[in-house]
Amino acid sequence: MKFSIYRYNPDEDKKPYMQDYEIELQDGDQMLLDALIRIKQYDDTLSLRKSCREGVCGSDAMNINGKNGLACTSKLSELEQPVVLRPMPGLPVIRDLVVDMTQFFEHYNSVKPYLINDDPLPETERLQSPEDRAKLDGLYECIMCGACTTSCPSFWWNPDKFVGPSGLMQAYRFIVDSRDQAEAERLESLEDPYRLYRCHNIMNCVDVCPKKLNPNAAIASIKDLKIERAKEAKATKKTVSIKAI
Amino acid sequence: MLIELLTKKYPGMRLWLTQRISAVVMVAYMFMMLLVLAIRQPSDYGSWLMLMTPWWWRVLTLVFFVSLFVHAWLGVRDVFKDYVFNLRLRAFLQIVVDMLLIGYLCWVSIILWKL
Repeated sequence: MKFSIYRYNPDEDKKPYMQDYEIELQDGDQMLLDALIRIKQYDDTLSLRKSCREGVCGSDAMNINGKNGLACTSKLSELEQPVVLRPMPGLPVIRDLVVDMTQFFEHYNSVKPYLINDDPLPETERLQSPEDRAKLDGLYECIMCGACTTSCPSFWWNPDKFVGPSGLMQAYRFIVDSRDQAEAERLESLEDPYRLYRCHNIMNCVDVCPKKLNPNAAIASIKDLKIERAKEAKATKKTVSIKAI
Repeated sequence: MLIELLTKKYPGMRLWLTQRISAVVMVAYMFMMLLVLAIRQPSDYGSWLMLMTPWWWRVLTLVFFVSLFVHAWLGVRDVFKDYVFNLRLRAFLQIVVDMLLIGYLCWVSIILWKL
């Protein structure tokens, strides 16, 4: 099987180049990651991230034939040859297929991806109704591979300002969590013209998500919720003014 | 009312909502226009003039064009912010677009009120 792989070692190479490989697949080589591990047997200078090998850790996200995806869940039989592999776009390349995800995780960190609840800790756990728990479906499954964010043109143009689809989906995951008490603070933190509103519904995020999630819907829900809360705040202010009169 | 939310308190939402509201206004006008064209079927200059003469229709048409220009201004502004990195060039291009849109608005107003 033929491959064309992006190579770049900043210590040795002046600029990136594409290297061709042709390997004989063996029994059991079904996924792209299997082939990459096979290539590494012949050329151990090739660098890539990998871990769980079953689409759970998100380490081996890369650009496969022009579309972001996970090497471990991409079937070799479905790939057009030569398989062109590049690092995920929009992030600095550390080496070969390995990118620096600092920016990505800074945005993730900025949405405070943890429960904020000032109530005293209960004896066992904070309970949720099945209905409230169901609101987290389609959100909590994100594996933070970065495929969506790095395929988003809004992130390419404003990587330091736009939180990106993955970070925003995680923001929404905590906004709708019935156990969280910081909804207003979370919505407020997404108010500037870039962090949330730079999403122009391009939908690349939905197209590439290896877990078939819909970050675009989560982003639209945040926008709707912000309008709803702003309207409520206006109505409350009016009521208070009338009472004062 | 959504228009009440277009305040400085919500800088991001204000721009986003403005673009959405202007889009809804344009769709509503175009729908009305298609309906009127289907019913009245103007075929010559006289019938077109009859169609556009009522003052309320001219006001609606002007509202449509204001929405169109606001929508275009916000869209082009985003494109410039994304693609033009030289701040002076970006400011120059933005001024050119602003002047053009203001010019078009004046032109449309003159056309509508000369009917």
